[in-house]
Amino acid sequence: MTRRRISNILRKEWGLLFTDPNSALLVTLLPFAVVGQFILYFWLAFRFGGEGMLGSSVFQTALEKLLQAIPEATALPASEQLLVLLLNQFQFILLLIPVMIAIGIATFSIVDEKLTGSLEALLATPVRTWELLLGKTLAGAIPALLMTWVSAGFFLMVVSLLGWGNLSRLVLTPSWFLSLFLLTPAVAILSFMLGVIGSSRAKDSKGAQNIALIIVFPILALIGIQVTGIIWFTPLRTLLLALVIVAVDIIALRAAVHLFQRESIAIQWR
Amino acid sequence: MGIIETSGLSRRFKEVIAVDDLTMTVESGEVLALLGPNGAGKTTTIRMLAGIIRPTGGEAIVAGHRIDRNVEKLHEVIGMLTETPGLYSRLSARRNLEYFAGFYPIDDVSSRVEKYLKLMGLWERREDKAGTFSKGMKQRLALARALMHEPKVLFLDEPTSGLDPEAAGEVRQLIRRMREEGCTIFLSTHNLGEAEMLCNRIAVIQTRLLALDTAESLRRRFFRRKVIVELESPDPNIAAVVRELPFVQEAKEEGSRLSIELIDSERNRPELVRAIVEARGKVITVSEEQYTLEQVYLRLMNEEKVNDTQAH
Repeated sequence: MTRRRISNILRKEWGLLFTDPNSALLVTLLPFAVVGQFILYFWLAFRFGGEGMLGSSVFQTALEKLLQAIPEATALPASEQLLVLLLNQFQFILLLIPVMIAIGIATFSIVDEKLTGSLEALLATPVRTWELLLGKTLAGAIPALLMTWVSAGFFLMVVSLLGWGNLSRLVLTPSWFLSLFLLTPAVAILSFMLGVIGSSRAKDSKGAQNIALIIVFPILALIGIQVTGIIWFTPLRTLLLALVIVAVDIIALRAAVHLFQRESIAIQWR
Repeated sequence: MGIIETSGLSRRFKEVIAVDDLTMTVESGEVLALLGPNGAGKTTTIRMLAGIIRPTGGEAIVAGHRIDRNVEKLHEVIGMLTETPGLYSRLSARRNLEYFAGFYPIDDVSSRVEKYLKLMGLWERREDKAGTFSKGMKQRLALARALMHEPKVLFLDEPTSGLDPEAAGEVRQLIRRMREEGCTIFLSTHNLGEAEMLCNRIAVIQTRLLALDTAESLRRRFFRRKVIVELESPDPNIAAVVRELPFVQEAKEEGSRLSIELIDSERNRPELVRAIVEARGKVITVSEEQYTLEQVYLRLMNEEKVNDTQAH
């Protein structure tokens, strides 16, 4: 019954998602905009700022870590080493896609139902709170994750078109795959869970978005930590990070159920 | 044992008492109206009985389930029409029903949805988005949603509020149909005529239960039955004769109209008419004074105000 109820929520949420032009555009176009924008930054950095950046002590440290992690890059010229360093950040930049989609969609998921009154009718059905919240989370996280994977493909395609195809093998490391297929799903679920928590606690979607924004900062920090050479995410570190996020997902679901107060929702949203 | 049993059911919101010590029994197949002014606790009562909010005192059993335990099981056997239809405007009528049906143990969702869309007269519009429906159609669709899993008890929170007379009439017709099919209905309304038209018994609440009975019994409780005799012309002698009759408690003369209170309205009426005719009174009509439920309700509310003032 639980699986049936969750898949029922998924079908309904997807029905609503793809009949709303704003949400549909957000899910389909935003990932390409994120990838395109960062590739443009990297191209500009590579084309015009390469030598200046190579002289920076911050990038020197990061390059040393890169060469330790990917010894094959040692044979490359310094400018291409910088490019490999930048392209390796993409595993974390891709994490921004589900986060941004979550902020755009998940934050409305409960607030909208409160405002239209459908939530009270829903609360009178046998659906359990955790089924409802997990259903709403997965309904957003699954398309966001699929679009992140499509974006990863788009990224590789653009890299190839820019003539950097020979560097792809230095980007597609075990760490990249762990990030894409374990860390990204975990982060996608966490983002949507936070969005849903925000949506169930906030009085409007803006308040919910503020709560969901919490997750953006750790991801930006991840990029910063790696690009400045503080920590290089080896496959083991990426795996550990992914497992930590999976544990946080479970805690977040429990917290979401605890924070979802049926009574206040019914009483305050008439 | 009734299908709904409450005992001392109460709900406080911080310092405010919304429902106080509500004790009542609703029998299976009964339609009960819950009347009361705004803020009287009608919606809170329905929400407690539907397991949406918890009581802060007392207890209640609905269709064999305690309202504060295993709410999921309770929700399988109740249906609820909330104050607002609460539909998904971008989904079709069919998808709206399929979604809600998906939470209940229904084997063939499609045929169940078809049955209720047809019952509510919405089958032809099944693929139209709910957002394009009129208020009345939305309310019918919401009613279909509440009924689709064939609940033992149906809670209706102001089902005709905000509807035009035609749409309200359609919804009332559907409620009548549910009643005929033996569904127990607990209906909150401001519309006294609707309550009298649809319900077996009427509960009047103002935080606490003020009265619970049939409309007729409530009338008798608050108003004595009066016989109205319309004479051809005013005649003070007839009034005097009537006052002398041993079974007459009070008689008032208002022109050619006599308003008479009898000890037993049914049994004494023929004797009364005979006495008037024997006194050469020319009787045009004999009828009974009709008191509306509104008069009963207003008297109850006035009494409550007086009691409240005295208590303070």
